[in-house]
Amino acid sequence: MPLPFPRRCILFIPRPATLVLYRAGEALSKTGMANYDSGASYPDSSQGGLLTRCLFSTRHKTIGLQYLWLALFSVFLGMAMSLLMRIQLVWPSVHLPFLSSLGNSPDRFAALTTLHGSLMVFLVLTAAPQAGFGNYFLPLQIGAREMAFPALNLLALWVTMASFVGLTGAFLISPQSGIALWIVGVALFCAASLLNALNFSVTTIDLRVKGMTLPRLPLTVWAWFINAILGMLIFSILLAACVCLLSDRLLNTHFFPPFHFPAMQQAGVVTGAVPVLWQRLFWFFAQAEVYVAMLPSFGLITHLISTFSRKSVWQERLVVLALCGVGLFGFCVWGQHMFSSGLNPFSPLGFSLLASSLGLPATILMVSWLGTLWNARMQLNTAMLFALGFISLFLSGGLSGIFLARHDLASAAVSDDFVTGHFHLVMGVAATFAILGALFFWFPKLFGRRLNEPLGKLHFWITFAGVYCVFMPMHWLGLIAHSRVSPGTPVAFVAAAGSAIRTFITVAIVLTVFAQGLFLINFLWSLFRGEKTEERNPWRATTLEWSVPSPPPPDDFGPSDPVVYRGAYEFSVPDVAEDFLPQHLAPEQGAKARESVE
Amino acid sequence: MPGTTAFPDVELVVDDVGGGGGGPTPPPSGGDDDKRRRPGTPSPNRYYTGITLGIVSILMFFMALASAFLVRRGTSGDWIPVHLPAVLWLNTLALVASSVTLERARRSLSGLDLSGFRKLWAVTTGLGALFLIGQLVAWRQLVAQGVFMASNPASSFFYIFTAAHGVHLLGGIGALFYVLVRKFDGTSIALPTAAEVVSYYWHFMDGLWIFLLALLYLGK
Repeated sequence: MPLPFPRRCILFIPRPATLVLYRAGEALSKTGMANYDSGASYPDSSQGGLLTRCLFSTRHKTIGLQYLWLALFSVFLGMAMSLLMRIQLVWPSVHLPFLSSLGNSPDRFAALTTLHGSLMVFLVLTAAPQAGFGNYFLPLQIGAREMAFPALNLLALWVTMASFVGLTGAFLISPQSGIALWIVGVALFCAASLLNALNFSVTTIDLRVKGMTLPRLPLTVWAWFINAILGMLIFSILLAACVCLLSDRLLNTHFFPPFHFPAMQQAGVVTGAVPVLWQRLFWFFAQAEVYVAMLPSFGLITHLISTFSRKSVWQERLVVLALCGVGLFGFCVWGQHMFSSGLNPFSPLGFSLLASSLGLPATILMVSWLGTLWNARMQLNTAMLFALGFISLFLSGGLSGIFLARHDLASAAVSDDFVTGHFHLVMGVAATFAILGALFFWFPKLFGRRLNEPLGKLHFWITFAGVYCVFMPMHWLGLIAHSRVSPGTPVAFVAAAGSAIRTFITVAIVLTVFAQGLFLINFLWSLFRGEKTEERNPWRATTLEWSVPSPPPPDDFGPSDPVVYRGAYEFSVPDVAEDFLPQHLAPEQGAKARESVE
Repeated sequence: MPGTTAFPDVELVVDDVGGGGGGPTPPPSGGDDDKRRRPGTPSPNRYYTGITLGIVSILMFFMALASAFLVRRGTSGDWIPVHLPAVLWLNTLALVASSVTLERARRSLSGLDLSGFRKLWAVTTGLGALFLIGQLVAWRQLVAQGVFMASNPASSFFYIFTAAHGVHLLGGIGALFYVLVRKFDGTSIALPTAAEVVSYYWHFMDGLWIFLLALLYLGK
């Protein structure tokens, strides 16, 4: 198959630049970050210049790492923006080097919020756990040597990169053109996600190795698979909505007339269902998008908890059903966000019931995690700490979701701050904890080195305390803003309380963001100087990626395909030398292990 | 007891391998792919699965537009129905005919009549191109009547439906052309598989157009 990009493009790079890139590539290869060689049967992207190998490789591992780098850059950019916003909110007169140059325009401030949200939701929470870890580890965990369509995979990566440029570039140009560019960026991200979703689903369905039956799939793979199916359905909807919106802005069409938008209307006027049209299309995507971010996290956390509890997943099949349930219910609850939009009087009740019914699969997952942890010989390393932190955040954030699922409460009693606190806790921070846990878990496999554990634990505890200090008070702020002040209470007293809470949040966020420096130092230091791991399976885990060297060789499994003999969570197996049985271990080898014990 | 110990928890499942390596039996007309598979080569089933899931995804895109069409039509006062140009019916005829010639081409291929296959396949590609040219003619006729994309919501929807369908169909024409000119020696996909996969997409585009036409005609 020909390369999807012309090789001769490297000819246009000046010679000194090529030398610099070559040296950088050598350095990367030494740290195990680059695996660009050819496999047995896939298009060979190892030939050609360095750019071809670095940027235009169709290898799933290279592409997975590139998504992770993009997510890492985006998360720090997004965090810097939240820091600026909170500081500006509490100390508006403080001179900030970046924000002050924006001319204090409300448009710019709104754009900052939009950019923070879009970077975090799309390029971090959606891209990192699914496209990043998924691309790298899904083929390895099911014994495939590559994704089903490697060229599509590369195309999806570059469309995502283009989307990143569109989203961030929108902030730098004038607001009117910026909005159009932002919509183009979102549409591109939808297209890339659709390609990714297609690749993930087909890979899981058709490229599983011999013996990897559906009940034996690791739960991470189940989560990636269900998520891909969900993504394939919802990103199409947002793409259609973006095409219409872009057409309205650029071609003056009339899909969503601006005068019908609630923001342009007089207070209390609801003009038919037209403003609801955009909301319907948007929330049909956006509510399910929450689960697109959460589903891979559920898979990762279940996997981590089982591995580090040295116990099989409690009620594994029920967990698979719960993951399917999250996908199914998540697809049906879009109206939950439109309680104040003038819906049919009966529909809020229906959506309330559906939204509340999401509690069932969530409860099953929670009970399974606790059941797995029950009486377990837990290994409290950093990855496990992040997994436990996820459970805590998911529970705290999820509980406030119950209030929002009630249409009478959601539309009347709580304000933006409550919602902000809720979704940051349950979606933003919890999913980030899952990503961090997965990174600590898979770092030895990715780079052949370990992250520093004491530094990792310090980072965990500061971040864990920090996010609670940031987002819990936001719930109070939301309740205070809409509470009816009793006649005897001075309004100034309530205002002062709100102001104090805001200041507390800002101080907490400054500390939490700076604590992420610990992670960055740990990450970069470990990448080049961290403790090397010679062994293939440092965590004594069971899935197939641990049967290959760290980092995995270019063709993943060597000359012959692995065969899978058992489920993914055979821990604490009695009478075996080690307390686990890897999926690829042949029965004869398992029997030998047992004999040696006896 | 060493040597006699059974290992109850370990089972080797060979027959019910559900993995892609084994997978379901390949469709009859694409059946030569599996024989050519080397170890480590992915299953050709991936093309069938890929096109099926891709079709579902494209369907969701058009369903979003269709639901927006119905909601917008039912709730606004500025809706002026578009009078559909007559050439659309001829275009539809060309597209349906292309589906028929496509199936006849595949029948020729299964009868190992390669030249007959290529002729009919070329006719299919030509009919597809004819459909697109006909759609452009329909646009020009509407423009001549003064019905533009920005005229009113109904015309906006007409243009976006035809444009989105046209773009997807253009991809289909590209795929038809690819199958026509590509020599399938030493590729991971065999000619019958490629022809069948493209036929799924083409028939879907055909059915989708009939649905869209019915929506535009009945919903005006």
